[in-house]
Amino acid sequence: MQTETPFGDFTQSEEVVRAEDLRKTFTLSRKQQRLEHTSFPRKVAVDGLSFSAYRGEIYGLLGPNGAGKTTTLRMLSTLISPDSGDAFVCGHSVRRAPHKVRDAIGFMTSELKLEGFFTPSYLFDFFGAMHGVEKGVLAARKEELFARFGIDRFAEVKVKDLSTGMLQKVSLVISIVHDPAVVIFDEPTNGLDVLTAKVVTDFLAELKNMGKSILLSTHIFSLVEKLCDRVGIIIDGKMAADGTLADICGGMSIEERFFEVYRSIKGETV
Amino acid sequence: MKLLALMKKEFRRFFGDPKLLITMILPGLLIYLIYTVMGSAIFGGDEQAKYSFKVYVSGESQAVQLIDAAVQKSGHEAEYVYLPAEGVDEETARREVKAGEATALLVFSEGFDGAIADTDASDAMPSALLCYHSEDAASSAFASLAGAVLDAYGRSFVFTMQNSAEAADIAQTMVAGILPMLIVVFVFSACMSVTLESVAGEKERGTLSTILVTSARRTDIALGKVLPLSCVSLMGAASSFLGVVLSLPTLMGISVDAAVAGVSALGYVLLFLLIVSVVPLIVGAIAAVSTLSRTVKEASGYTSVLMILMMVLSIVTAFVSGIGDWVVAVPVLNAVVAMQGILTGAMQVWMCLVAVAVNLVYTALLVLLIARLLSSERVMFGK
Repeated sequence: MQTETPFGDFTQSEEVVRAEDLRKTFTLSRKQQRLEHTSFPRKVAVDGLSFSAYRGEIYGLLGPNGAGKTTTLRMLSTLISPDSGDAFVCGHSVRRAPHKVRDAIGFMTSELKLEGFFTPSYLFDFFGAMHGVEKGVLAARKEELFARFGIDRFAEVKVKDLSTGMLQKVSLVISIVHDPAVVIFDEPTNGLDVLTAKVVTDFLAELKNMGKSILLSTHIFSLVEKLCDRVGIIIDGKMAADGTLADICGGMSIEERFFEVYRSIKGETV
Repeated sequence: MKLLALMKKEFRRFFGDPKLLITMILPGLLIYLIYTVMGSAIFGGDEQAKYSFKVYVSGESQAVQLIDAAVQKSGHEAEYVYLPAEGVDEETARREVKAGEATALLVFSEGFDGAIADTDASDAMPSALLCYHSEDAASSAFASLAGAVLDAYGRSFVFTMQNSAEAADIAQTMVAGILPMLIVVFVFSACMSVTLESVAGEKERGTLSTILVTSARRTDIALGKVLPLSCVSLMGAASSFLGVVLSLPTLMGISVDAAVAGVSALGYVLLFLLIVSVVPLIVGAIAAVSTLSRTVKEASGYTSVLMILMMVLSIVTAFVSGIGDWVVAVPVLNAVVAMQGILTGAMQVWMCLVAVAVNLVYTALLVLLIARLLSSERVMFGK
């Protein structure tokens, strides 16, 4: 389907991310085994996950804590390797060409921190250089993004002195310094006040309109309903449901549909 | 370009933080001050004071001439007043010594020299009395000299130890034994303070992972740490090194000329190259340990063990003779042995150059190891 946007035309059916039978297990320490109430030393975090995300769409991975959402995003961002299976970002394998995948993605998660000693302006330039962005392009992009998020007034303030909301905005801007085709966000609005959360969600919608492919993990139903074109419901590391938001919901709200799926798999009432 | 950006970031981190800069330079200054004060306290006082002694002598003995010879050799001078003198008897002399008006009183028993010479004599033992005032520096100095002469005076033989080594040889041996070990210790301390913060600190704070998400190669990230940290460490090590070198002559009571006599210009160049080769090696080793550790505290613990090991080996190398040429293949120790050779005048150019090359090869291997560790999710994310 050809889509016309203020930023240009693009083919919406173009597959940008494809996960194929991803599997990841972790070794549990004795302490972790006690906490998980298991004597089994391995935990399957992601178990044969497959899905596709398309250009100009937002794909939401929805699931409870510990379902495998973050592990999946970490595999897609090449921070960790799958035990088996593979994923392709803009045609590049996360296993065989991780550096090309890293050039094609912007990854934002609360686990990745910015050095408090430096200023947003310096870090923007530094990460721009890390992604090989040309200086002139970098300067123009900094001016545009800093103005868009109100960072320009804090551009020379050390990161350690920024408020949580401003820090999140700086992290967001730096994660897309190289104008990546795919933007991956792990719980993008976690810990944000309502105003900053709105700025972030509005920007995600804007990125989508610019033809970017966005993958986000969340357990917030309203965020999925508001932003996502496609949804994957993950439970116990397995893809329990995958499709467009309309197909998944089938007339129900996403919250009702999620718990229906959850009960059908776990056989438990919540 | 990415490597350059990584290096610039490290430099900016250190040169932009006055506190870190001070912690790098301060040790050298403190070492200089402390060692100089210690050295002055040990050697300074005796070397500078020149006294004019006034000594009362009661009785007769050839020992007075020997005492006078010792006094003059030590750079002092003395006036001897034999009792009884005009208006002065033994009691008056004692009072003058006590009052600080005279330096000392020497009293020899009657026939002192004869009684000492006649070993079969069954008469009373010959005696000599030295009356001095320990609170008076001049009196104490004289008592020390006269006491030593009188102690040896009555012995039936003269025992003399003669050291054929020149003062410069002794100084060189002392410097050669201690300096390489001190260099290793100070280089290690400097490397430790910057590398732990930069690698283990960044890993602990989660800022290293942010760089890992970029398309920079792991070897560039590893090199982007090791190279600038080596430069910063070299600065810190140079500060400590200068502190030691400038204070060592005072601390050991030797002159600067004697300490470095025999070290040629080539020797200094090789010494510098050896230090330059050791710095990135130690930075690389600490960076690898820091990458493996989860926290700065954990890394600090492992690194301290490494430092003690290097210190012990450096000391052993300094005092064990006959170490074979195989030592040139052992990182860091090869530099210690080569430095000892330079400082003792037994410089082996081939050994210095091979040691530099070997250390650089080990550094390259460490950089590759760090790059592998950065790629390991078990190491970086504990999974």
